Amino acid sequence: MDLEKTKSELLKRARELDAPREVLKAPELRELYKLIPTLTDEKRAEFGQKINALKVELEAVVAAREAEALSAAVEPIDVTAPWGVNVEPADRPQIVATGRGSRHPLMTELERVVDIYQKMGFDAVESRQLDDDYHMFESLNFPAGHPARDSFDTFRTEEGFIPPAHTSTMQNRILVAGRDKLAAGGQIAAVSYGRCFRNEDLDATHEHTFYQCEGVFVSAEVTLGQMLGVLQKFFEAYYSQKLNIKTQPAYFPFVEPGLEFLIEKPKSLGGSGWMEVMGCGMIHPNVLSAAGIDPTKYRGFAWGGGIDRLVMLKYGIDDIRYFESGKLAFLKEFK
Amino acid sequence: MIISLNWLKKYADIGVPTDELVELIGSRLVEVEEVIDLAPRYKDCVIVKVEQCDKVEGSDHLSLCQVNAGSGDLVQVVCGANNVYAGMLAVWLPPKSVVPETYGTGDEFVLESRKLMGQVSNGMLASMRELGLGDDHDGIVEIDPESAKPGDSFAEKFALNDTLLDIENKSLTHRPDCFGNVGFAREVAGILGSKFNEPPYFAELSKFSHDDQEKIEIEIADAELCPRYQAVIMELPESYPRYLTPIAVDVARVGMRAIDPVVDSANLLMLLTGQPLHTFDYDKFVKVGGLGAAKVIVRAAKEGEKLELLDGKTIELDSKDIVITSNDVPVALAGAMGGANTAIDKSTKRILVESATFNLYSMRGTQFRHGIFSEAITRFTKGQPPALTNFVICKFAEMTSKIFGLKAVSKVFDAYPVEIVNQPIQLTVDDVNKLLGSGFDIKQVRATLENVGFAVHGEFKVTAPWWRTDIHIEEDVIEEVGRLTGFDNILAKLPMRSFEMPTPDDLGDMKAKIRRVLSDMSANEVLTYSFVGERLLKKVGQDPANSYKIINSTSPELQYVRQQLAPSLLEKVYKNTKAGYSGIALFEMNQVFVKNEGMNGENVPIQHDNLALAVQGDFYLAKLFLNNLTDKFGIKLDYRNTELGTTETFYEPKHSAGVFVDDLQVGIVGGVAAGVKNNFKLAVDTSAFEIELGLLLGKVKVGAGYKNQSGFQGVERDMTFKVAVDMAFAKLETTVKKTLQADGLQSEIAPLDIYQGDDSATKNITFRIKFASYDKTLNGQEIAGIVNKVASAARKELNAEII
Repeated sequence: MDLEKTKSELLKRARELDAPREVLKAPELRELYKLIPTLTDEKRAEFGQKINALKVELEAVVAAREAEALSAAVEPIDVTAPWGVNVEPADRPQIVATGRGSRHPLMTELERVVDIYQKMGFDAVESRQLDDDYHMFESLNFPAGHPARDSFDTFRTEEGFIPPAHTSTMQNRILVAGRDKLAAGGQIAAVSYGRCFRNEDLDATHEHTFYQCEGVFVSAEVTLGQMLGVLQKFFEAYYSQKLNIKTQPAYFPFVEPGLEFLIEKPKSLGGSGWMEVMGCGMIHPNVLSAAGIDPTKYRGFAWGGGIDRLVMLKYGIDDIRYFESGKLAFLKEFK
Repeated sequence: MIISLNWLKKYADIGVPTDELVELIGSRLVEVEEVIDLAPRYKDCVIVKVEQCDKVEGSDHLSLCQVNAGSGDLVQVVCGANNVYAGMLAVWLPPKSVVPETYGTGDEFVLESRKLMGQVSNGMLASMRELGLGDDHDGIVEIDPESAKPGDSFAEKFALNDTLLDIENKSLTHRPDCFGNVGFAREVAGILGSKFNEPPYFAELSKFSHDDQEKIEIEIADAELCPRYQAVIMELPESYPRYLTPIAVDVARVGMRAIDPVVDSANLLMLLTGQPLHTFDYDKFVKVGGLGAAKVIVRAAKEGEKLELLDGKTIELDSKDIVITSNDVPVALAGAMGGANTAIDKSTKRILVESATFNLYSMRGTQFRHGIFSEAITRFTKGQPPALTNFVICKFAEMTSKIFGLKAVSKVFDAYPVEIVNQPIQLTVDDVNKLLGSGFDIKQVRATLENVGFAVHGEFKVTAPWWRTDIHIEEDVIEEVGRLTGFDNILAKLPMRSFEMPTPDDLGDMKAKIRRVLSDMSANEVLTYSFVGERLLKKVGQDPANSYKIINSTSPELQYVRQQLAPSLLEKVYKNTKAGYSGIALFEMNQVFVKNEGMNGENVPIQHDNLALAVQGDFYLAKLFLNNLTDKFGIKLDYRNTELGTTETFYEPKHSAGVFVDDLQVGIVGGVAAGVKNNFKLAVDTSAFEIELGLLLGKVKVGAGYKNQSGFQGVERDMTFKVAVDMAFAKLETTVKKTLQADGLQSEIAPLDIYQGDDSATKNITFRIKFASYDKTLNGQEIAGIVNKVASAARKELNAEII
């Protein structure tokens, strides 16, 4: 029995039969399977694979033909009409506002965070979700091969693009766009916010997809003390109470000095001990230079933190995986 | 990384309670992730003398021992080790104690008195493994009678009553000196402003006697790859003392495994100083090179060169790896692991000890290429200073000679082609205060920096000490001042702002409004992953080749950047129906990227900010959601039959339409094609729309749709038009509207019915038309005139007949 010939015959039948599924029951296919045990060991495996491949191909053709048939039976509609012909009033499309709708808690929180910064006079831009090495790393004083790149665990695409691991991927753009303002005696004040990615395995406290908000402030006379002031005021507004703050030294190549920023646990979260809420620091001179800003004339500070954790703490959410689960049972909790 | 509090106290005058110390380290150096009290693990381990030792009858390996735990009373213990003998000192784990190896594992093994071969055994005599110090399980640990007596606490004698600080490595990436306990202590002393007790081997090179029997030639091919390489040859003694050494316990205490005196000594020095050492079998090394003497060549590996490592794996080297060679034959992957051809074994007589520094970028590449994450390479990736190698190799030679009877048979050979010295940095106190917002004077700045070994001249020029490889610019020095004096002592205050209006975030504002509008319309906002699997792409007929592909994804479901949002939503519709929900409407706003669209002006992929909604219902329901939404933005949409795009293949062509504003297509709305519906196992008709928000944003009309109200009595008429069956509803609607508007009337028209009777060539469309004049109450004649006008316009333009 000639496999190739049978194959083309069966495929032809699959394309032409009125009931294409019949071809999957064709006697020729059964005959082919019957041949397998009669072959020598080395030929058997190869032949078996070929028959399986043929079966897969036939099934694909059958599925496509069936889908075509289903579509062929579809009556065209007038897309400019509000409903179809002869549809009774009860069956016409209607939206009943029942209060079942919901907004995603991460988005609601991000809006709130950005809103506070905007009220403090910061511009806001959404962060890109696919970017290049220059914006993600190089312009931020992470030269190629820099060990600090490791801790970011970035995804990469075949073409070398990076789904950014931090919203700082917008920092160089913000600085470049603000150069003229500085030259005119003004200041750069902006936040970038949005979705970031890290190549982490999922569990209750780790997500490869998460949200951040970061900010920069650049002027001729900014100080680290002012950075602490701005961040303290932000969190005081966010938690609607006075808060003590403290810092821990940290290392991020794009700032020098670099700090972790901690706030006293607010009353709404039980109120004892400290919470690490973001990383911050004075913008590294190389980062300013990369954006064409003279670091001997201007200084700046930058900071950034995650949104997911704020939301988890706020509601007491115990599993970060809910956020991207699309589960209505979870989402409907957030009216 | 683990820091021992005992060592901290040895090298720095601490003088504050542990919790305060941890707090200070946290605020001025690095986060302490965990404080581990080691004492409870070893609290019950007692040093005992084995007074009697007899074979257990009927057993080939068990011994019946009577041990004395100091009181003179004898306790019976059965022991299976072959090195147990009467008169030795051993470590006894009494009944009810927890075997240290299992302490804190959650699966703790509590000893008891139990019978073995008919004899009661009260607890056990411990091997290295049971003590959690090493992997050796061949015999029990023997204690030097010179150093302890029966009844002594094992923990006290071997400094195991320690507290360990687990340090968060990431924040010390730039501080190679702090990857050694001594360097860490130096920093802590600086923070406390207290005395640092520098170990003598840093003040002066350790002295050890050696002969010059052997010579080593060292050649560094590229000083960029290997700034410094030192080596010494040492002869091993016939045998080592059989007693447990403090060095083995020290190494194990801070988290490594005790192995043998040479390896333990090297590891101990690495843990203290941060400088890794490597040892080769010297005679094998020479043999591999074939010269009769050692010639070390350090060079970049050649592409395709192979090396069998100590662990038996043969790796293919990359030209970016660094190799140690014996006369050009690779014997080690530098910084990472030795080769099998020069591995130390039982027959090794002489060793070659290496103390070197390598390019940290190369080390990092090697680490990831070959998956080697040892304590040594972790330190090499921080960039150890070349000045360190000499102190450590000399200390190794001195220490192993004195304690274990090794003998140096060569001097220390040194290749250091380009000496690396820290350059002075010039700055002013004003620079410091301007960056930090502080108020230091020169005295405070000088005292702070000098306390951690910086040389400060005038007002002021500063040179970092040799162990600091991370101080290059002004800001590095300022950070030191701020950090060591405490950033928290700087007054937090708000900056002066120039009064400027923030640029509105129009897209962000639009999204916020969409969220409110759609959730008010009973839809639920979801977030789904930006990456999808090939399976999902195929289900909706999108070409995977048109997606950016993630090369290091951990899951097949996250391999492609998605081209549209709606397919992810369809998947979630199915999952929620399975969970028992019906009448589902899900929406998401997120970015998508389509590969064949190419790059934007910045040469990064073109980004689309999309909104998609998937709803259980037909085309018209999805359209209704969309119309109601855009109505809130004053945007009127047109729906036109269009060819489906390559990313829109999952819509039924006959039930989908391009969404237009003016003549710009902003998206698509459609019913999900039957085949795709099956692919997703969707039992109910499902429809979706996907809109590009960036395009919609440009069409927002503030205040559009507002009409002034007429103060006069209005008229309401139902009109039914008989039109050709293929007449588009919108055409008729537009004609009616235009006619009414042309008359300057306030008007409103609403569809009432679309009916097709037996006549297959025509259909009837009924509108309820309301109109009023702004000038007067319309009389019967005027009303009839207007209705006639509408009818005749419809007849003329569309061949519609009034019924």
